[in-house]
Amino acid sequence: MVWHIFKKDWKLLWTFVASVALVHWISVVIMHQLGLFGENPMLEMLEDTVPMLAYFGSMFLIVAIVHLDVLPGVRQDWLVRPISRRALLLEKFLFVIFMVETPVLLANLFQGLSSGFSFRASLLPALSKVIYLLGAFTLPLFVLASVTRNLTEAFIFWCGCAVIITTFQSFVGYLAELTHGTLTPVTWSGIGWVGELFRIALVIVAASVILGLQYFRRKTIQSRFLLVVFGLLLLTSQFLPWKPAFAIQRRLSPNPLAGANTVVGFDPKAEKFRLPSGVSATSESENGSRGARENENVVFLPLRIAGVPVDSVLLTDRVEVRLLRPDGVIAYHGTGESLEVKREAPIPDGAPSYQTLKLPGAVYRAMKNQPMRLELDYSLTLFGLTKSFSIAALGGDERMPGWGWCQTKINDVGTAIELRCMQPGKGPTCGTVFLQNDATGQRNPERSVCRPDYSPYSGRFGADDIARFGVNLPFRDAAGLAHFPIDGPKLSQSRVTIRSFEPETHFVRSLVIPEIKLQDWEGQ
Amino acid sequence: MIRTENLWKKFGRFEALRGLSFDVPVGSAFALIGANGAGKTTTIKVLMNILTPSRGHATVLGVDSRRISPTELAQIGYVSENQDMPARLTVGEYLNYLRSFYRRWDKELEASILRQLRLPLDRKISDLSHGMRLKMALMCALPYRPKLLMLDEPFSGLDPLVRDEFMEGLLEQAGEMTILISSHELGEIDGVATHVAFLDEGKLLFQESMNDLTGRFREVRVTLEAEAAKPGVMPNCWMEVRTLGNLLTFVDSHYSEKDLGEQIRSRIQGVRAIDSQPMALRSIFITLARATRDSSA
Repeated sequence: MVWHIFKKDWKLLWTFVASVALVHWISVVIMHQLGLFGENPMLEMLEDTVPMLAYFGSMFLIVAIVHLDVLPGVRQDWLVRPISRRALLLEKFLFVIFMVETPVLLANLFQGLSSGFSFRASLLPALSKVIYLLGAFTLPLFVLASVTRNLTEAFIFWCGCAVIITTFQSFVGYLAELTHGTLTPVTWSGIGWVGELFRIALVIVAASVILGLQYFRRKTIQSRFLLVVFGLLLLTSQFLPWKPAFAIQRRLSPNPLAGANTVVGFDPKAEKFRLPSGVSATSESENGSRGARENENVVFLPLRIAGVPVDSVLLTDRVEVRLLRPDGVIAYHGTGESLEVKREAPIPDGAPSYQTLKLPGAVYRAMKNQPMRLELDYSLTLFGLTKSFSIAALGGDERMPGWGWCQTKINDVGTAIELRCMQPGKGPTCGTVFLQNDATGQRNPERSVCRPDYSPYSGRFGADDIARFGVNLPFRDAAGLAHFPIDGPKLSQSRVTIRSFEPETHFVRSLVIPEIKLQDWEGQ
Repeated sequence: MIRTENLWKKFGRFEALRGLSFDVPVGSAFALIGANGAGKTTTIKVLMNILTPSRGHATVLGVDSRRISPTELAQIGYVSENQDMPARLTVGEYLNYLRSFYRRWDKELEASILRQLRLPLDRKISDLSHGMRLKMALMCALPYRPKLLMLDEPFSGLDPLVRDEFMEGLLEQAGEMTILISSHELGEIDGVATHVAFLDEGKLLFQESMNDLTGRFREVRVTLEAEAAKPGVMPNCWMEVRTLGNLLTFVDSHYSEKDLGEQIRSRIQGVRAIDSQPMALRSIFITLARATRDSSA
């Protein structure tokens, strides 16, 4: 029975299916043609629009597939035919998998293979992507289509949802400003995947309930009501609190004891932070409230971070800041800036790190002279060195397992080496890159390419499932003020060294400063 | 074959069916008659489990209508004036598609009905006229020899030629089939229906075999010696009583040849002649509809 319905749907939709698949393939071909450096302006223009078009096409295709045997209504011929509802639901699901998801899978597999990656390295991220798309894109649209009668109704419903989501997000953005980043802590962080998985789980539950209700009982009004309820739950899921989400991440630490000796302490004897010449500690920042602008004061707390193993990078995923008055009342609750501490063998341990706190001007002015209690809750990730690679500084072209395929070239103005890499999946999480002359041992200052994303899967919207990343390594200052150990003439004997770091452990530390005057720690 | 008991269907506050109870005997051609909005289509959709009743219950082929499964649907043919079939498939493609769902699908019968209804196999369903679509719906309902055929306003908007073709196609295949047909046009079911039920505003006014119905209704003309006047006391079964000169006319809804003369003479003096004529179904329907309207006014 499933096969008969499948054949009918194919007969009715094959042109649409082929067109959408073609657009997906075109977007992958564009990405392939752009290569690592993406220097074709025409293709660069199409790089964003064609994938968007492909996703729009998929969206309408999913709705069209479900609407071939529409559920709401009393006139459909299939309702009076001996067609099992279970078979119909299964057929629709399989049709969507084969006709919407499979072309995306194949296009991504092709992209990986044609970029020179192995079958396994190309297939697994492509599979991960289509599974992600199933939960984050296909199933919600399937459900939406099942509660609507036709494309117009689905489009109106979709527009309604878009308006509600946009309004809600604007409101959340406004509240997030007021709460200094404490309202939606997990979103856009390295553990954002916890919230994302929670949302996908919610989508699966919603889809099971609503599709069951629609296909087996055809209760459209109840289904629409549930769709709205689940939609609101999805929206509110961005308020997922940090602590339980980070606790999940901690449990997934590959080497939980790696950070056991790491200590974060306040170092009041350390030198005050000196701002680069010409930069003021008071910076203007946009205040979301009613579009007004408000001064922000920046405080730099000297910290002594000890116990970070050699060849490691310590990254703060989140710093929760509480300033309390002597009577215990919280005067400010917000988040601090991210901190990165590297301990590489050639660099001596012991230099202080500075925790940056951006405080609203009004808060700062009211408290700067008062003795305050400061509480800092750190959520940290310790990265361990996994591999080192090197690639020729000029015209390098290397495939580095665990890091990806990279190429190097001098930028157009001749001031920096451009390192551009790609890897199927989400790419490496953290690395440091520097120019080094193997013969002399000289090296230029390193650049960090840490993009904390601890998700155990790769999945995102986009033309393909290949992560593209890179960094520019300066070797010449156009103004002639700075001098680099490795400059133009030495480039031919130099290589770009890449040190790849992977998370070893996630842990928390608390720092309490019983009494502090903020004005003592303004930047100089 | 079909039984409904105290069937109610509400759409919000509107009561489309109000305690409907009727039986469709096996092998009958049961006509559900009523004006537009009387609840005929709702009744059929409830019987087909397209709509769920608000109260009461119905059984079709011995199964609760809420639990009708593909097993029962494989034995039911359904034709409706507004049936949405896949518009972009051709007639032939759709027949091919449906064939696989019915184990009892008879290809020879299909070919014979196709010839009879003269449906173009290669034309898309969206390109068919209203009449052709109805024929198409009938075409899709007959080749598996259903035990029960439900026709919801099948003649609506059909020209006489297509209607006759449709009826020929239907009657030729009817055989032992039980047919439930809804219509607001009495002429359409005259000569087809063996039983009739009259629906008004969701209520069943009566259910009867056609023989009994046409047998008990008579148009009676009483010629009097003097100017006619309506009698003070009349039996309930006298409907639409009118006078004109020395003529008194009425419709007797419980006609008995034996008792009619005595009934009249006991109430009216100076009867010169009594004449009773059988009534057409349309006249019976109109009489009943007026009586209902008057009683509810």
